Amino acid sequence: MKKKASSSDYLYEAAGLKKEFDDGQVQALRGVDFKIADGEFVAIVGPSGSGKTTLLQMLGALDRPSAGTLQYRGQSLLDLPDPAAYRAHEIGFVFQAFHLLPTFTAVENVEIPMFENHKTPVERKTRAVELLKSVGLEQRVNHFPAKLSGGERQRVAIARSLANSPSVLLADEPTGNLDSESAKHVLDLLTSLHRDRHMTLILVTHDMNIARRAARALQMVDGHIVFDGDPEKLSMHPIV
Amino acid sequence: MTFFDVVTRSLGRRRLRTSLTLLGIAVGIAAVVALIGLSHGLVSSWTSGMKSRGTDIVVANMRGSLTPKPFPASTRDRIAHLPGVSATCMILVDLMSIENAELMIVSGREWGCFAWDNLKLVSGRMPNDQNERTVVLGTAAADILKKKVGDTVQIETEELAVVGIVNGGAFVENGSLVLSLPLLQQIMGNQNQISAIDVRVTPGTDIQRLCAEINRLVPEAHADPAGEHIAGSEGYRVINAMSWGTSLLAVLVGVLGVTNTMLMSVFERKQEIAILLALGWRQNRIVRMILWESALLGFFGGIIGVLLGIIGVQLLKHAPALRGMLEPDLRANLVLEAVAIAVFVGVLSGLYPAWRSSRVAPSLALHG
Repeated sequence: MKKKASSSDYLYEAAGLKKEFDDGQVQALRGVDFKIADGEFVAIVGPSGSGKTTLLQMLGALDRPSAGTLQYRGQSLLDLPDPAAYRAHEIGFVFQAFHLLPTFTAVENVEIPMFENHKTPVERKTRAVELLKSVGLEQRVNHFPAKLSGGERQRVAIARSLANSPSVLLADEPTGNLDSESAKHVLDLLTSLHRDRHMTLILVTHDMNIARRAARALQMVDGHIVFDGDPEKLSMHPIV
Repeated sequence: MTFFDVVTRSLGRRRLRTSLTLLGIAVGIAAVVALIGLSHGLVSSWTSGMKSRGTDIVVANMRGSLTPKPFPASTRDRIAHLPGVSATCMILVDLMSIENAELMIVSGREWGCFAWDNLKLVSGRMPNDQNERTVVLGTAAADILKKKVGDTVQIETEELAVVGIVNGGAFVENGSLVLSLPLLQQIMGNQNQISAIDVRVTPGTDIQRLCAEINRLVPEAHADPAGEHIAGSEGYRVINAMSWGTSLLAVLVGVLGVTNTMLMSVFERKQEIAILLALGWRQNRIVRMILWESALLGFFGGIIGVLLGIIGVQLLKHAPALRGMLEPDLRANLVLEAVAIAVFVGVLSGLYPAWRSSRVAPSLALHG
């Protein structure tokens, strides 16, 4: 999908996107429209329950919308022949709670996404070590997550998200479990990845200061996008 | 890191639970090894006893029991002249409680026939004639009864002098008390009755055809190639079926144990599975991971079970009821079968948990 000529000028195009739970009693997304270009840094902001995580699930093909369309490079994500391949090769996930597997070392955690990539164990390890070096963890390669600080764990998670050289990084509150200093390092790292590798970075947060690092903000309230534009203007929308 | 490392690491996470599950499978497999090993041992021990005596065909009435039912000694006259029969030996055999031993093999043999030839004296002498009220003991029988040459042994109401200790060249032979046929017939009150005719054939004889001929002439008994008369008996089939039944019941407990463990593991690791899906793992890889985990539990449970089974039969063969009567037969194919059953049990037990793992929604990765 990555190498294919795009039939669309946009990376993502959503129209009338809806997601309902419990037979329609809960409406997480109520007809959302947006377009995201390749290489953009977009912050999705909003209060708890506004639908931002649900939207991230749709973008990562972790869930299917109840109605509407969502396209990636012109292809509907609803009709993906192999959603796992899309997640493996196009998407890198960074989670708030890191979600490192506790019985695997840092380098082994980074190797995990490469199992679907037809790499030999040696190639996987070499690549994982390179990625850990690139996030400044060359001294922590063989440490288990329990022996790492929160910031280090998130950096391992970021290295893991880059394992298959994805086009898009989807980050769900990536600094939510970190102290301010670690949070700054993680944000600097994500920002530099976006800038240096020209990756599309879509970051969910409820922190206005973090959102302001993005080039664009989508503000969500009750399943609607109520603001789409320059994050500096978000202060005029104090719902966050 | 290989996929196998991922599988083994998952099993190592809950060591106590994994160990208890392994033990559950191991007990089932140990039962298979011990009971089937003993059951096979029954056949192989008697077969080797026959071979040691040089018997090619056994004519006996084994229906419904493990010890043959008596039939008239005159039956021998109908088969001794048949082409291909080189020699015959009439035998009366029974399992008896001898002094403090619960069950011993007592074998009365036609005086001077070939069934005495394999008995090699270890000490003492052989009986002087068929009327001498003496007995020779196989080495294991002497050990069990704690008898030596010069002692006496009580068989039913008769007290016989032990004149020799013999090595019969086979486990069953060494566990037997051997005396002359007329003497045992007299002790048992089975005058002119025998329970088997051992037949030796001339080289090149078609044994199956000769058996068929004997069976035609002797409807009250049945001729089988040596060893097959035990395996084909109803008694042995019942024992074998009971052994498998008991073993499989124990294995079923193992199946439930592994299923429970794997199901708990899948429930506990729902979010971890969702994370793996979010990281691009395909559902079939998750299913394979769970199946490999349960198969490995089965495999290692099987190995431990085989070891426990081997230890178990070593203990069982010294049990008073079995001592000297049979040597457990733990041949390689039984061990392989047991491990294969354990792996099958593992895979079978993993099927439902694996299916459940395939139902985990990847969106769970973003929860919590």
